[in-house]
Amino acid sequence: MKRQGDQETWRLGDQETDSVSRSPSLLVSLSFLIWLSVRRQARARQMVWIALGLLAVTTTVVALNTARGRWSMEHWRQPRGVGASFGTLLEVFSFDRQRAATLTPLPTGITDAVLGAWRAALEHSGFLVFAAFVVYSIFLSFLLPLWSLSFATEALGSERESRSLLWLLSRPLPRPAIYLAKYVALLPWAIGLNVGGFAVLCLAAGSPGLMALRLFWPAVVGATFCFCALFHLMAALFRRAAVIAIVYSFFLETILGNMPGYLKRVSIGFYTRCIMFDAAETIGVSPPEKAEVYWPVDAATAWMVLILGTVVLLGLGMFVFSRVEYRDES
Amino acid sequence: MPDLLEPADPRGGSRAVSEAVIAAPPLLPRPRPELQPPLPALLTFERVTKWYGPVIGVNQVTLELRPGITGLVGGNGAGKSTLMRLATGHMRPDIGSVAVCGRDAWSADAKRHVGYCPDLDAFYEEMSGRQFVEAMARLNGYPRVEARRRTEETLSLVGMADRAERRIRGYSKGMRQRVKLAQALIHDPEVLVLDEPLSGIDPIGRHESVTLFRRLAERGKCLLISSHELEELEKLTDHIAIMARGRIAAVGSVAQIRALLDDHPHAVRVDSDRPRELAGLLLRLPDVLGVEITSDATLIVRARNPRSFFAEFTRVVLEEDIRVDRLETLDASTHAVLGYLLGGVS
Amino acid sequence: MPSLLHYRAWHGEFHDPAWAPLPIARVALAMMFRRKLFWTFYGFSLLTFLMFFFGLFLLSWAEAQASDESLPIGGGRIKAGVLMDQLRNGLKLNGTGETYRNYFWFQGSIVIVVLAMAGALVVGNDFRFGSLPFYLSKPLAPWHYVLGKCLAIAAFINLMTTLPALVLFVQYRCLYPWGGWEYEAAILGGILGYGLVLTVVLSILLMATASWLRTTVPLIMAWTTLFFFLRQLTNTLVDGLGYDPRWRLFDLWNNTYLVGNYLLGLSVPRQPQPYEAALVLGATCLLCLTYLNRRIRAVEVVQ
Repeated sequence: MKRQGDQETWRLGDQETDSVSRSPSLLVSLSFLIWLSVRRQARARQMVWIALGLLAVTTTVVALNTARGRWSMEHWRQPRGVGASFGTLLEVFSFDRQRAATLTPLPTGITDAVLGAWRAALEHSGFLVFAAFVVYSIFLSFLLPLWSLSFATEALGSERESRSLLWLLSRPLPRPAIYLAKYVALLPWAIGLNVGGFAVLCLAAGSPGLMALRLFWPAVVGATFCFCALFHLMAALFRRAAVIAIVYSFFLETILGNMPGYLKRVSIGFYTRCIMFDAAETIGVSPPEKAEVYWPVDAATAWMVLILGTVVLLGLGMFVFSRVEYRDES
Repeated sequence: MPDLLEPADPRGGSRAVSEAVIAAPPLLPRPRPELQPPLPALLTFERVTKWYGPVIGVNQVTLELRPGITGLVGGNGAGKSTLMRLATGHMRPDIGSVAVCGRDAWSADAKRHVGYCPDLDAFYEEMSGRQFVEAMARLNGYPRVEARRRTEETLSLVGMADRAERRIRGYSKGMRQRVKLAQALIHDPEVLVLDEPLSGIDPIGRHESVTLFRRLAERGKCLLISSHELEELEKLTDHIAIMARGRIAAVGSVAQIRALLDDHPHAVRVDSDRPRELAGLLLRLPDVLGVEITSDATLIVRARNPRSFFAEFTRVVLEEDIRVDRLETLDASTHAVLGYLLGGVS
Repeated sequence: MPSLLHYRAWHGEFHDPAWAPLPIARVALAMMFRRKLFWTFYGFSLLTFLMFFFGLFLLSWAEAQASDESLPIGGGRIKAGVLMDQLRNGLKLNGTGETYRNYFWFQGSIVIVVLAMAGALVVGNDFRFGSLPFYLSKPLAPWHYVLGKCLAIAAFINLMTTLPALVLFVQYRCLYPWGGWEYEAAILGGILGYGLVLTVVLSILLMATASWLRTTVPLIMAWTTLFFFLRQLTNTLVDGLGYDPRWRLFDLWNNTYLVGNYLLGLSVPRQPQPYEAALVLGATCLLCLTYLNRRIRAVEVVQ
């Protein structure tokens, strides 16, 4: 308190020195909170490192597969897993056709057409294989929720865990605005990792991947918004939000997402898949799930649900955050 | 208006005596009442009750704090921190209301008028002290230039200007306390709620802090300062509130509380091997108002002036070689106040 | 000077340090059963058990009720006994190795979830909050500590899997005629063997991962990666891209399944050989034990 006796230097309370430009503004507070939160999210923790590790492993596998040129149904076997591969069967039938052509020219045209269609289907099946086994099976059901939650639960979760939430709640900021600002601040990271990670995977897959990236990136963005809103809400509700989010992602999303009938429609992954299915159908690729069992909705409905879901979850989160007392965390 | 309060009546029968009004403390130069109206209350608790599940944290507290310093003492779990969190809008009362400058303490608007220095030792550890205080200024809504100006001034005020470049992670307890104080002062609030602000600070720092608090009070700020130690607060103000079990047990200067306590009859339970003989001896003491023998070994003594009573009691049992198995004050509030006034902690 | 604290000398005899794992295990087990969240999973586990238990009971009861009646199915009629046989075999509630394999599969999934969440509680916190030196300051060797924790995890795994499977085994043998000593002993041995494989692999793996990652969330992520992500990835490689089924050896959960099947006398088509799976599991355990050894020695040095 070296200068406390010096009246001239202590001007905090002197109203005369406060001009309009010096008066506090809510906009400044919120802008700074967003900036501060974006910066604090950058401090990579174990969760983010694990997420990046998973991206590296998946990308390596995808790249190696691309290098071996195996993005097609050529290697599928009939009967499944044990019979001859589709590629081998095509070669066998092509050889048979050449032998047959020397004897009877009549069926050659039809055979040629069938074999040609078969060959074309195999050559262009890369997108279908990549979409079904990498995008739907690994990315959508595992990586996307995991990457979303590693940032979304941290936005409030790390403040709660380190008990620094107190400093935000002591400031003249409306609580719903704090919640919203935290959500806005986590989005660049979550979208960066989800869309960026997805793009890396797609680029590693070559041409099927590029097509998947072009068709599916909007669905990835939509799902990121919705997953982040959900996990952000969990962080406002629960002290161990990351655990709850992981349990939700891998049990409820997986279990409900595979339930027959309408039950699966409560999962975010279902709507993301539906958007992707619709996008894939624009180039004539059918979804891997049977429509009569899966009961997909059209893309417009799925988008509406994702957008509405995001808005409702955010609204709910703002309401919860504005009411809850964080006793242990502040 | 000093007041020694009775214990809570669980049926709500003693509502009137559970309320206390803290008037303007004597640190401020007081104008004569007939010439100037009393200063407005900056922080008010209106019959505030706060529960933690089945445990009551704060019980029917009514307080009005005006400019000046008010010390809040109490043992662990007495309700000090809960009261402070209610004042700073970190908690909401289950019953009653808390207002800062007339605004609901929970609202964002009220937080413009209150600065909080918590007991909690959590920071953005990766920041330097200067960055942290400036960040708090920016979160208060000040533009960058103004935030920097305020940061430098508050850091100077708390004596941290030359040490604020280092990361908080490497700060001593005292330095962390100073940074906490700086962030509480950054927006020049009318009300300052300081939870154990002197703990961990060295004697020179304590002296500087005490001087700073006095100067803030002189400038019309309302300071609510909590501590475990009555002695520490006595140096700062003679306007003390003693909390026990969620209630304000006594309010006033230490001398006033002592005087009140002397006049206030209190019950003491004594378990002894010779209760009847002890009762006869105690009835001869001037401070003893009555003795009741409740069982073969237990007495309930009603006495005034606890300091002289306990001194005489000790003399009697030693002289007569009477074994005392148990000695207990039955009144919780009195017990708490006694604990402080007699040097212990309840 | 009179003693105010009234301490008195201990006149009993101290146990040998070899007994130390028991209290360590007891405390760890108590921690696992104290968490309310885990009881949700214990509820799921009970549900699985009851599904099998009453499934077996219901089929037996229905069989007794229907006797030799013919029941109308589709356009024709089918004898009740035949229908029950078909149902029993179709639902794998026929007391063969398949019944217990399925049971271990379902229960094992729940066990993995609970262990992933309990790892930090039982083991990670000892490293994180420095309570390991507290254990090691007693006259114990580090391996007593490891053994105690492994014992707790083992007890938990067997309470959730082997013990209920044995109850189902006894139940089936009470409802239906025995299939001969040799057959029954093979099934019983298979159940105990599958339980042992899960016990050894999961307890050592949990000890190693929890002492490495320490906190709950990274630990759950690591276990999700090991048991969910790798499963998805190997499925993609084998089923989607037509690679050799040996790629499934990266899936640890599948490896325990393959060894368990072998012990129950079952074979699984289009999968690696059981000995290959056992080798991978053995190597994983060895790796984990090596890591644990280094980890605990490091604590000693700090001490």
